[in-house]
Amino acid sequence: MSVTDVVAIDGRDTEVESPDDEAEFDETSARERAATAARRRIARTVEIAEGGGWYGTWMLFRKELERFWNVAGQTIISPVVTTLLYFLVFGYSLKDRMREIQGVPYVEFLVPGLVMLALINNSFINSAFSFFITKIHGNIVDVLVTPLNPIQLTVGYTAASIIRGLIVGGCIWAVAAAMGAGTIHNPAIVLAFMLLTSFAFASLGLAIAIVAEDFDHINLLPNFLITPLTFLGGVFYSIEMLPGVWPTVSKFNPVLYMVNGIRYGMTGVSDVSIQMCFTVVVSLCLLFLVTSLWLLATGKNIRE
Amino acid sequence: MNPSFEGESLLSIRNLTKQYGDLKAVDDVTLDIEPGEIFALLGPNGAGKTTLISCVAGLITKFDGAVEVAGYDVRDNPEITRRLVGLVPQELKYDAFFSVKDSLRYQGGFFGVRPDEERIDELLRAFSLYDKRDQRTRWLSGGMQRRLMICKALMHDPVLLFLDEPTAGVDVELRDELWDYVRQMRDRGTTVVLTTHYLEEAEKLADRIGIIREGELLRVDDREELLTEYGIRRVTLQLNDPVPADLTSSLSAMEINQVGEAKIEMVYREDSLDPDAPTPVDELVAEIVERGLSIRWMEGGRSSLEEIFKKLVY
Repeated sequence: MSVTDVVAIDGRDTEVESPDDEAEFDETSARERAATAARRRIARTVEIAEGGGWYGTWMLFRKELERFWNVAGQTIISPVVTTLLYFLVFGYSLKDRMREIQGVPYVEFLVPGLVMLALINNSFINSAFSFFITKIHGNIVDVLVTPLNPIQLTVGYTAASIIRGLIVGGCIWAVAAAMGAGTIHNPAIVLAFMLLTSFAFASLGLAIAIVAEDFDHINLLPNFLITPLTFLGGVFYSIEMLPGVWPTVSKFNPVLYMVNGIRYGMTGVSDVSIQMCFTVVVSLCLLFLVTSLWLLATGKNIRE
Repeated sequence: MNPSFEGESLLSIRNLTKQYGDLKAVDDVTLDIEPGEIFALLGPNGAGKTTLISCVAGLITKFDGAVEVAGYDVRDNPEITRRLVGLVPQELKYDAFFSVKDSLRYQGGFFGVRPDEERIDELLRAFSLYDKRDQRTRWLSGGMQRRLMICKALMHDPVLLFLDEPTAGVDVELRDELWDYVRQMRDRGTTVVLTTHYLEEAEKLADRIGIIREGELLRVDDREELLTEYGIRRVTLQLNDPVPADLTSSLSAMEINQVGEAKIEMVYREDSLDPDAPTPVDELVAEIVERGLSIRWMEGGRSSLEEIFKKLVY
């Protein structure tokens, strides 16, 4: 076992000595020769470095995709199965009592809410978990020493999380459709809400992972904020069914607008205007995006 | 005509200070690293070696002073300087989800390097990791993980490579492989900065040596100059007969001691010799021959960097 040859990315690197120059090089010391080789390589690498590019971002995205895909049992199948249990329990146990909400059969009314529930959880936990685990293991260094800037890091992490959210959400819808409950009123609106919502929560997950110092911090937000807001955001019911002031209170819950946005896209009914839904989800996207960009740019908790 | 970098130094550090509360981890360090050299940063644990490297590699961005790589400021143009720099961190780190080969593929990719299976295989072979290429990195032994970390840092072919305590906890085999590889990389134009507290490493590899203690760069010298200036020659002679009582006193100009019945040890500083006068060894041997004594054996050596280091640092 021995090191036999130095590996060069580009064969030209080794062409320091040429037969014509042999006599000249005999007179110079090894150190000067190394310096000459170094100066050429520096000049060439600076050229490459100045070129920049988005290939690194693409590879970060690919790596993040592979990370959750390698453990698809936990990251895709498990959330799909869990959500379908809600579908079976709520949809089929309540369908005789509830029958219709706003003219839509209850199981069809339920599907967009469940898609959104799974999409929010999975896009959040994907970037949060992935970034946090590299931070805890210390191999965040692998990413921090690269030329990837805050925008590129955010794009890499969130894009993969969006894909996971779309896959999980899409699977839930597909299974529901196979059971006869998958309606689509306006596919463009459905896709837009799936994309925007998963982007917002992927950015939030990234921001939380940067700030978090242990696993409890990562779980705090889903357990005490995201899940309650989602359950109270009209996943299982229309807020018109609520008594007293609760319909008004519910309108302060941002998740309501995401659930109703996708519900409008799938069934054509919504508790709130679709314009309002777009306004809220786009605002959240911007808020969480700016937060995670700011955290990455200042290096808070990851660079000293 | 190949373009060539014209700057004096590849890495230029000016008045770098990094403070943690009251502690100055790096204290007003100014240092230049020339293209193509192997530079050893030598210091005890906690001297500030890793902090200094982290400021260059982008792991620490809040510091006072200026750091430039190839003329680019590391904080103003990180996307350029980080492409030029490679870092092998001190602590072992692994990516739990990926195989050896995939982690190399992605690491190169982050720097914009397109996947090149041939290059990956060559690197894996060079560091004896080829047989483990499809294994998950978490199942590698410590030594194997160290090898993988080195391969990862080399994936984008950096022009300035930092090895932070590269041989801490590795076996002799990997250490020799690594030293060999470092020399070869230097020959094809990679500038190497290594931190170490193994003095043997610095002595065998480095062209220049910087000694750092409590964040302060005490001195920077050519290895040979350091060894000559601080070095002491030691010559021991074993005679066949007891040493005559007046032998050492007759050579009182030198530091010379009888260390056994028939053994003499002589110590002198090489840099204080008068080039035109006989050396202390000349004088001693002449005296012994003149008295008709016989020498059984004679051995000599120079003080190691280790001794010099202890003198400078402690």
